[in-house]
Amino acid sequence: MSRRRTFADKRSVLAVSVLVVFAAIPLLSSLISYVTARSAQPFLEMPDPKYENCVRETEYMRYHHWELLAEVREDFVRHGKRGDITLSGCKECHPNRERFCNQCHNAVNLTPDCFGCHYYPETPEAELMETYLNGKTTAPAAIAAAERNR
Amino acid sequence: MDRRDFLKRSGVFLVGAPCAYVLHVLPVSGARASSGHATATRRWGMVIDLHKCLEDCTACVESCRHENNVALHGDERWDVYWIRKVDIESKEPAVGTEESVPLLCNHCDDPPCALVCPVQATYRRDDGIVIVDHHRCIGCRYCMIACPYNARFFNYKENHDWHNKNYPKRSHGVAEACNFCAHRLDDGRLPACVETCQGIAGALTIGDLNDPHSEVSRLIADNPVKRLREDFGTEPKVYYIGLPGR
Repeated sequence: MSRRRTFADKRSVLAVSVLVVFAAIPLLSSLISYVTARSAQPFLEMPDPKYENCVRETEYMRYHHWELLAEVREDFVRHGKRGDITLSGCKECHPNRERFCNQCHNAVNLTPDCFGCHYYPETPEAELMETYLNGKTTAPAAIAAAERNR
Repeated sequence: MDRRDFLKRSGVFLVGAPCAYVLHVLPVSGARASSGHATATRRWGMVIDLHKCLEDCTACVESCRHENNVALHGDERWDVYWIRKVDIESKEPAVGTEESVPLLCNHCDDPPCALVCPVQATYRRDDGIVIVDHHRCIGCRYCMIACPYNARFFNYKENHDWHNKNYPKRSHGVAEACNFCAHRLDDGRLPACVETCQGIAGALTIGDLNDPHSEVSRLIADNPVKRLREDFGTEPKVYYIGLPGR
């Protein structure tokens, strides 16, 4: 009798530990990606300093820009209220997806499907971006030139 | 509080809370937002004059394809049309066939596609345009089955035609249909098909059905017009001049 109970105990301990391990996997993976995101230093191509601020402060934009975009999307698509925040407005200051959006998205292994339908230039000519970064052209001009070259 | 008091109070709460909700006493988050479509007093409708429409002309189809990035794979199983030319045959043999009728979403006032949509991705705007919110669409294709005009198409494949970069394309797995170029109407421009046709044949006219002095209202009043399958009671807003049959 006592032997049996021990066996049952062992089995339940085993079952619980297996469960805990499996439950921990998603938690751990998200924890890892969170830590990576916090610790990684992706190269973010920042806009011309003459555009002082984004539509919200940088820290908020870094983690919550997608909430903001989802909110304005809901307002526009469902209620017809077009505000001044749009995805194409992002392009004004951050013309290159590869050097801005994708940096963090890749670091945290995210593939948002915005860009499957909304046009956002991914890889304009590196040269053009260099001239833009050196202040020889503006972001809209760089976009226009990149689109001509496509 | 004794047991009796507790039961009384919870009873009051259980009955009172739903009543308060229904009567809008409590402020509820997500309460029905008033629609901000600036054109809510309008009701967009289209008139198609088949006497003017040229038989071999597909300018409206092409311009729509370029404006709205409508997928063309070169295979009729996967091609998408927001507007297309079809042959309509009357059930009475004496009346015959009308060839090359432009057929598009009829923007029904009582749209069956919106009725069946399980996620409310398809809905009717206040100005009468039936529109798909592709962010919500789950690709179940109920709307394609519900639509009596076969005006809805599904993106079975990824679309790589991106003619107009200012307008989004649709990705693989969502249903779509004509939206009267809502983005252009909101900007005060004409839909691509109407704009193109006005330079060629002038068969397509769009306007406000609520305004008795608008071009469409005048055309409807002055001509014998028909709508497709009015017997379904979907109240379509695309009117045809010169459609055969009763």
